Amino acid sequence: MTSTITSTIVVTPDGMTNGGATLTINGSAEADSACTIAKRAHYAPPWADVSIIGIAGSSGSGKSTLSQAIVKSLNLPWVVILSMDSFYKSLDEESSRKAFRCEYDFDAPDALDFDILVDRLRDLKAGKRAEIPVYSFEKHARLAKTTAIYSPHVLILEGIFALHDPRVLELLDMKIFCEADPDTCLSRRILRDQRERGRDVEGIIKQWFSFVKPNFEKYVNPQRNVADIIVPCKSETHVAMTMVSQFIKQKLLEKSRHHRAALTKLEMEALSHPLSSKVHIMKQTSQMRGMNTIIHDIDTTPEDFIFYFNRLAALLVEQGLNSAAFTSRQVTTPQNKPYLGLEPAGEVSAVIVLRGGAAFEAGLHRVIPDCKTGRMLIQSNIRTGEPELHYLILPKDIDQHASVLLLDAQMSSGGSALMAVQVLVDHGVKEEKITLVTYSSGRMGLHRLTQVFPGITVVVGNLCLDAEERWVEKRYFRC
Amino acid sequence: MSDIRTAPTQSVGPEYQSESQKPTATVSTPVNFDNVTILPQTPQLIALLSIIRNRDTQRGDFVFYSNRIIRLLVEEGLNHLPTVEHTVTTPVGRPYDGLAFHGKICGVSIMRAGEAMEQALRECCRSVRIGKILIQRDEETAQPKLFYDKLPEDIADRWVLLLDPMFATGGSAMMAVDVLKSRGVPDERILFLNVLASPEGITNFATKFPKVRVVSAFVDPGLDEKNYIIPGLGDFGDRYYTR
Repeated sequence: MTSTITSTIVVTPDGMTNGGATLTINGSAEADSACTIAKRAHYAPPWADVSIIGIAGSSGSGKSTLSQAIVKSLNLPWVVILSMDSFYKSLDEESSRKAFRCEYDFDAPDALDFDILVDRLRDLKAGKRAEIPVYSFEKHARLAKTTAIYSPHVLILEGIFALHDPRVLELLDMKIFCEADPDTCLSRRILRDQRERGRDVEGIIKQWFSFVKPNFEKYVNPQRNVADIIVPCKSETHVAMTMVSQFIKQKLLEKSRHHRAALTKLEMEALSHPLSSKVHIMKQTSQMRGMNTIIHDIDTTPEDFIFYFNRLAALLVEQGLNSAAFTSRQVTTPQNKPYLGLEPAGEVSAVIVLRGGAAFEAGLHRVIPDCKTGRMLIQSNIRTGEPELHYLILPKDIDQHASVLLLDAQMSSGGSALMAVQVLVDHGVKEEKITLVTYSSGRMGLHRLTQVFPGITVVVGNLCLDAEERWVEKRYFRC
Repeated sequence: MSDIRTAPTQSVGPEYQSESQKPTATVSTPVNFDNVTILPQTPQLIALLSIIRNRDTQRGDFVFYSNRIIRLLVEEGLNHLPTVEHTVTTPVGRPYDGLAFHGKICGVSIMRAGEAMEQALRECCRSVRIGKILIQRDEETAQPKLFYDKLPEDIADRWVLLLDPMFATGGSAMMAVDVLKSRGVPDERILFLNVLASPEGITNFATKFPKVRVVSAFVDPGLDEKNYIIPGLGDFGDRYYTR
């Protein structure tokens, strides 16, 4: 990992996203992954089987501290903390009045909407995007906005009743129960509720004795029985931490291995098929060959390299637009004559696969100056070569666009292109609307990509050897 | 006046789409001369032409979209220039068997509409030399008349890209070619780039100069009684510069 980006997200009930990059994207979550072609190959992104760790325990028992300590010790960009506070039910008028008098029982399982929680956890487990509700403690109501979680490899579900619902237990890969003595819990709770939730001490204490304590006996404590690990709050949490980290690291390693094995399998399958008719390799006219020669020449000056790459990129984008949807349209010329022409069937937007795809920006904006442009950073792990999604931000209405151009400078094994297309499909973009535009690609990568996503169109500047190193972006950005 | 042929209307789109998936549009009228190249009738090209043909299109859009068409035209035109085999070493250390451009070029625009094509030429060939020719219609004879020219001194050693977007009767273009020939440029080193042509213009021109190459984006079915291309796109220079 090269960057300052840490995309660890902590979804807190007030909708604040703590941490670095936001993986929040709005738009329809409905991914149309319907199989239209019987023989299509299957690709599962590494986040398809997210590991979920449940951390339960009484209020103030140190759940969030433990969660954050785990995230910190892992120091990986794909670990997300999901607080169950986000799943409080909105209160009706009666209950709301009670709540403001601190007479509503927030510490019973009934206050939580387990149906939605289970639903969202199942989505995440399936590798889909999940919209997490945002709950306001000041208003005692769910806000209209939601926070999206997409593509974590590990999810930490943290809440008093994280181990309560049997449907949730089924989805958990590890169950932790935090234990603390009641005095510590009460004092922690007073401090937190005053500071973060705007309550007064009297109300907090009232709530404690009428609800928190009785509920603890009845609902919270029994969760010990289903836990894999019980973490005592008073003691140092080092031992527990080490256990949890090791478990997660092992899980991630397995996922990475599966992902890479799946990519290799696709590679083997790809070899036995001819290239899809939806792969368009640019005609090698004398200008194309001449420009390619200048771009490939190691002795070309940076000025010339950038000039010719921009010129060629504009041609690739023009070609990419030919696969966009058009409809007939009659226009009247200044001579008052009709002409039956065409117009685009809707908005065309672009998504740049960083960093290489950014070399296309000049060419793209020469063709569509105001093109809406999403970005995603996919990098290959230096050690394993596995592609990893580090950053993602897409136009909100991308699922409504008539065509989406996916831009990347080079495609070698096709691993990052597969991931990029999967991300678009997960955000509601139909395969048929996606056109991948790339300067150069090997046959293998093209095969692999079109086997998994037969609906997409690919425009390639020129064919190169398989597994060519990514040199275009180095030359374009000069570092 | 010439009889107006029926413009061919067909479905337009990439090969992998079935006929029913492709929308219908009027495409370029076929012409049959070896030295004339018409751009591939892609849906994108037709959509760009539809914008600049539309009388309701504002000047800003007209300038932007005509520039995009002209860039495609220039890219195609440059394919007719000579190249030589050239092998280079790539940044990853393997040899790449490519081509190098060969020969000097220059642009010559027929004022004023042809000047609108200079930007696209410069976007493909930086610091290209550009000469200018002013030809106007003589009010008395209705024939084109040469008023002014300023051309590179060594033009006889160069390939010339002659620029004029509207190719109606071909009168000005033929006069411009005569000027170039009088400066020693051989026919086969002249490329005439235009956006919209008429079958009459192409026939006149290609018969007179069978070795001069012509590249057009689109051929309309014919001319009206005032020798305007129809359906056409109006007066290109006016729409680009002053309207």
